[in-house]
Amino acid sequence: MTTATLTGRRPRRRNRLGLVIHQVRYEQLSFWRNPQSAIFTFVFPVLFVAIMGALFGGVGKSSYFGGLSALQYYVPTIAALCVLGSCYGQLAVALAARRQNGILKRIRATPLPAWAYFVGLLAHCVLVSLADIALIVGVGRLYGVPFPSHWPAIALTLVLGAASFCALGVAVASVISNAEAAPAVAQLVLFPLLFLSGTYMPIHSSLLNQVTGWLPVRPFNEALTGPLARHTGADWRHLAVLAAWGVIGALVAVRRFRWDPRPE
Amino acid sequence: MHPELTQRAAPAAVTATQDKSAAITVAGLRKSYGSVQAVRDVSFCVRSGEIVALLGPNGAGKTTALEILEGFRARDGGAVAVLGRDPGDKAAVRELRERTGLVLQDIAVEPYLTVRETIARQAGYYQAPRAVSEVIGLVGLAGLERRKVRALSGGQKRRLDLALGLIGDPELLYLDEPTTGFDPAARRGAWDLVRALRAAGTTILLTTHDMAEAQALADRVVLLSNGAVVAEGAPAGLGGRDTETARITFTLPPGFPAAGLPVPTDVHNGAVVIETASPTEELHRLTSWAIQRGITLSGLTVDRPSLEDVYLRLTRDGAPSGAPERSPR
Repeated sequence: MTTATLTGRRPRRRNRLGLVIHQVRYEQLSFWRNPQSAIFTFVFPVLFVAIMGALFGGVGKSSYFGGLSALQYYVPTIAALCVLGSCYGQLAVALAARRQNGILKRIRATPLPAWAYFVGLLAHCVLVSLADIALIVGVGRLYGVPFPSHWPAIALTLVLGAASFCALGVAVASVISNAEAAPAVAQLVLFPLLFLSGTYMPIHSSLLNQVTGWLPVRPFNEALTGPLARHTGADWRHLAVLAAWGVIGALVAVRRFRWDPRPE
Repeated sequence: MHPELTQRAAPAAVTATQDKSAAITVAGLRKSYGSVQAVRDVSFCVRSGEIVALLGPNGAGKTTALEILEGFRARDGGAVAVLGRDPGDKAAVRELRERTGLVLQDIAVEPYLTVRETIARQAGYYQAPRAVSEVIGLVGLAGLERRKVRALSGGQKRRLDLALGLIGDPELLYLDEPTTGFDPAARRGAWDLVRALRAAGTTILLTTHDMAEAQALADRVVLLSNGAVVAEGAPAGLGGRDTETARITFTLPPGFPAAGLPVPTDVHNGAVVIETASPTEELHRLTSWAIQRGITLSGLTVDRPSLEDVYLRLTRDGAPSGAPERSPR
């Protein structure tokens, strides 16, 4: 594959896939060794499902939960919450911090193409989200939520959702100029939206549902609820809204993203 | 000193440049941020295989000039060539990033990877990197390969930073205040490494506030003040300090007024200072005068202005405008 030079160094050309895998590998290493990210991403959702199970485990199918049992309702919304946490929240905060302490600038100074860096981040976030969803579905099963059957629809929704929220995360990181403000800004935007989008409790205001239906969180909740709880296929309408937000996020990210801690 | 350092191979393809021996040429460089002229008119060159230090106070334009060379910032005017390519050109920047290494002022390493992992990750970005263990040895982190970055001391992190700049086996290395935060022994070690890199054929452009560092390392110094070059030359001759004024000092003998001395002087609290362009003659006149009167000139010294003296003189807020002062080479 390589020809040795006089100096014994090996010139090589890493293919694109190899470069992305290289990136993902080290993103994963960094991620799993950081106790904070590991706990927030995995302990928190399991705890959440367990608490909901203890509170509402006995609540069967009801109109309050849209014809689902309480746990059938919460498994998809908590799954969505986890994807949001790792793709949007943690990404925005991590990128703002990496920019602030010069890590992004240092990466910019290497031959690593920008696309490879971001595809690596996205793939990392998808992997974390996958593990999260598997965990939540597993814990849900303990509380009597049957395993879903439409895996391709789940995979599609997951990848599209992860990509869209990653794009929004990068966009938010691009707009925030200092790292200290990043967690506050990211949460400030997210928290009310989670509540209004029915993540923590079903919303029965049709006006509110109309509005949040055009914002990113509710369509993702709905698109996951179909294949995870209702045994239906891909929810194209909600996926389209989600994809549109992803495109908006990507446009902002491409126009505004900075590698350098100091503005030009 | 660094026997493990491999000699760098001749570049496979020599790109067309006017001056093949120049690694960097900068001519009439200008850059403003709003109404602030960070770089007004900077011209200098770095020859291949040379160590050049950019020296100057904060806000002199060193970092801006460096960032333009590195392709991080767009210039407003002037011509720049790095390894024969224009860093303002996007396609050229991609190639330059393969061939240049840099160490920035901030320590920029992620906390949860080990030393070896951090370097191995960076190595994966280059087509022909140095071996990871070679670089670990070069920067003096051997034995700490498996230590997490967060458990390293500040100086060790800085050395890891240096390793990241070296891993791509650059032809040209930018070091932005490379030894800030080093203890004296680590600083000596870093200097040895920089010299060994030069001996192996690497061109180095560094910025520093540390006169001893510039003196110890640089073949040439480019002194910036207020966005312009105010002096350029070998550290020993910067600002004409090898040929210009020398300083004679001694303590005024009791009972002799300063006015009675045979040469014009400055006297402060009995300390006599004579600035002179011809120290041989002045010293002769002075000592003859003293011997005739049977006086001892206690504390007698003759010295040249230090690099720091020249630095302070040339970068004082009213830095000379107009033609930059240059020492002959």
